[in-house]
Amino acid sequence: MKSFLNLFEKLRPSFEKGGKLAAFKPVFDAAEHVFFAPSARTKNSPHVRDPLDIKRFMSMVILALLPVLLAAVHFFGLRVLLIIAVSYAAGGAVEVLFAVIRKEQINEGFLVTGLIFPLILPPTVPLWMVAAGIVFGVVVGKELFGGTGRNLFNPALVGRCFLSLSYPASMAAGWIRPGIGFFGRAFQYVDASDVQAITSATPLVLAKQGELAGLSDLFFGRIAGSAGETSALAILLGGMLLLLCRVANWRTVVSILGSFTILAAVLHYVRPDTFGLVLWHLFAGGLFFGAFFMATDPVTSPVTKGGKWAYGVLIGTATVLIRNLTGYVEGVTFAILLGNICAPVLDEVVIRFRLRRLRDE
Amino acid sequence: MKFRGGYNIDLKGRPGDEIKTLPEPDALYLSLRTARFTFSEVCVADGGRVSLGEVLARDPGNYSVPLLAPRAGVVRLKTAENHIVIEDIATTPEEPVRAEETAPHIARQMGSGGIMRYKLLTLGAWQFFYDAHTGSLPEPFRIPQAIIVSTVNCEPYLARGDVQLSRDLQVFSRGLEGLQSLLEYQPIYLVVPDIESAFAWQLREKDRGYARIRIVEIPMKYPNDNFTILARNLGLKPDNGPVWALRTEGVLAVDRVLTASRSCTERIISIGGPAVETAEHVETVYGYPLGQIADSYVGKANARIINGGVFTGRVIRPEQLGLDSECTGLTVLPEATEREFMSFARAGRHKRSYSRFCYLSALRGRFEETLTTAVNGEERACVSCNYCEEVCPAGIMPHLIHKYLYNDDLDEAERARVDLCVGCGLCSFVCPSKIELAAQFADAQDRIRREHQSKGVAQ
Repeated sequence: MKSFLNLFEKLRPSFEKGGKLAAFKPVFDAAEHVFFAPSARTKNSPHVRDPLDIKRFMSMVILALLPVLLAAVHFFGLRVLLIIAVSYAAGGAVEVLFAVIRKEQINEGFLVTGLIFPLILPPTVPLWMVAAGIVFGVVVGKELFGGTGRNLFNPALVGRCFLSLSYPASMAAGWIRPGIGFFGRAFQYVDASDVQAITSATPLVLAKQGELAGLSDLFFGRIAGSAGETSALAILLGGMLLLLCRVANWRTVVSILGSFTILAAVLHYVRPDTFGLVLWHLFAGGLFFGAFFMATDPVTSPVTKGGKWAYGVLIGTATVLIRNLTGYVEGVTFAILLGNICAPVLDEVVIRFRLRRLRDE
Repeated sequence: MKFRGGYNIDLKGRPGDEIKTLPEPDALYLSLRTARFTFSEVCVADGGRVSLGEVLARDPGNYSVPLLAPRAGVVRLKTAENHIVIEDIATTPEEPVRAEETAPHIARQMGSGGIMRYKLLTLGAWQFFYDAHTGSLPEPFRIPQAIIVSTVNCEPYLARGDVQLSRDLQVFSRGLEGLQSLLEYQPIYLVVPDIESAFAWQLREKDRGYARIRIVEIPMKYPNDNFTILARNLGLKPDNGPVWALRTEGVLAVDRVLTASRSCTERIISIGGPAVETAEHVETVYGYPLGQIADSYVGKANARIINGGVFTGRVIRPEQLGLDSECTGLTVLPEATEREFMSFARAGRHKRSYSRFCYLSALRGRFEETLTTAVNGEERACVSCNYCEEVCPAGIMPHLIHKYLYNDDLDEAERARVDLCVGCGLCSFVCPSKIELAAQFADAQDRIRREHQSKGVAQ
């Protein structure tokens, strides 16, 4: 370990100011700090700091995404891993480019975006589209606002939204029939050329045609859909971990799922033939993945507790309405982006009230 | 009473319940500068002999608070900068019986209450008093709207009230009576821990009979014992007059002055922290050479000695040679020297975090943690995780104020009530982005104060 650290020390001068590779200082720093904790010490009180840093914070999200990732590979094959590699490579290049130009540190937040993005895409999506989507998402959804922590929208959702509006045909048709059996498609490579495995319909599409997928299939994820959003079970596993370690806030999740359930129940009660069962709707489509992994992004959701409740209700309600009353089959993407837009306003309202209360102190 | 936020860390090196007496020093180094005082008016001559309790210097900016000689000896003014050094210390630390000082002008003006206050001020007990809202030294000749007496010290590590009182509870009660005689009808709030312990029970039993002493039970969570937080939670507004606040040692000092007319130069301080060899409470005098303490408690370890607790204390500068008169505890932290390999990917069995389940330590029971001075990460932009707001005991929104200050918008920060920050440091502690929130807020409060002053001058 000592010699490894010495290697960094030996390389450091060429990345310092005046060195040959000074422009790539952010890359060097990122590499160094992946392996060795920074040597910074506290200067004034408080003299100690919590061990949790942004690297660990973001690692928890990646850890929580592992069950989802495994489920995706199990049902849709090894191509999912290839998509992830492309997403990391293209998005990482953009991130590094911006860090170098801005002379800022490379942000760990990208590691989450780069993994979430492939999981909300159809598993047969062409690789160039993956690259285009993540580049658009990172640049427009994040970097233009100033990088992680300052972005208004969830970059992965911006990328996905861009793709579904630009290439609706390939984004709506490239679904794979899930693998069955013990190994599923875990050792297969399925792409758009495999006609047998391809289907044009997800459960939500079929439902509009009056054909309902079974509940247990929905729960375990034995359905067609975006790579990571089909298995409610895997999402629940990872999501619970996120809630436990308080990286995701339970208020957002509860309010989204709660408002969704209530509204879906009302619709089902009024017109049971047109609108499906609540439980069915809960497990279908990207609602779970959105509620646990995308809407809870601390940066793009409101900070205040009150804001979080309102934000969740807004997303839950919008999802039901888009799904059931518009031409779109799925509404989670749009609902969360809508929530992102409203988040600053919701916060503003709650903050006004809180400051008014503080005035007496 | 409802407390907001707060968080306890379980730091290694908690001082035990016994009080040890430090060996007599060869020389005393009395720092002329402490957190609140600057003793700029020196009253003794170089080479002169002083007796125990004699005034060495005064702070003209703080009601002429005196710095008293803890021991008899010979004064050296030039041995160390900003210090008065006492050498040739007399072996018998006996205080000469002083003739009852008469202060006729004060007696005429303020009666017996005035004389008591005068004694508290001149015999060194007044330094234990704090203005609960500002933290500064209160004005001695006013009557406060209330006095807060706290026996709780939650910050790791400051001298604990129960340890200081373990010797004699009687003295404490007498001190409280003394405090009461300074007041007309105003209440004294006696803050005790809400836990079931023999100490807490005794305290409650003892002072149940006093009508004006109100017992306030608080949960043992840092920083519930903060005077400003206590005053706010008790509904004591700054507009209704000053609130005096003091800790256990202050009450003991009051008794010492009012009952025995002796000077208060002795201190019971705690020496604790992960880098201390044996953490304990010690009885000593201020001015005790820090080098001697470091030799017997810190050993060879590369460590940082902090004057005060780990959250609010200050690093002891190398120029400072002796314990200062305001010190209530020394915390010794190991300096971070190792750079942990892949620290973000570690299971973290020994790392306790505010977020709990981000590390495996969440599955363990209680354990004492060894923290160092490491920042444990790189500074990043705020991700609005809201931890700072959850722990904030003042009920403000640190992340919001940080964003205003980042934008250099001091007016908005003022509107977001940065002035309510009590400087407990918990926000900086929990921040995963490693933003120096507490330091930024202290700086902003300073700037706002100066702006108001210059506005006042302009008008």
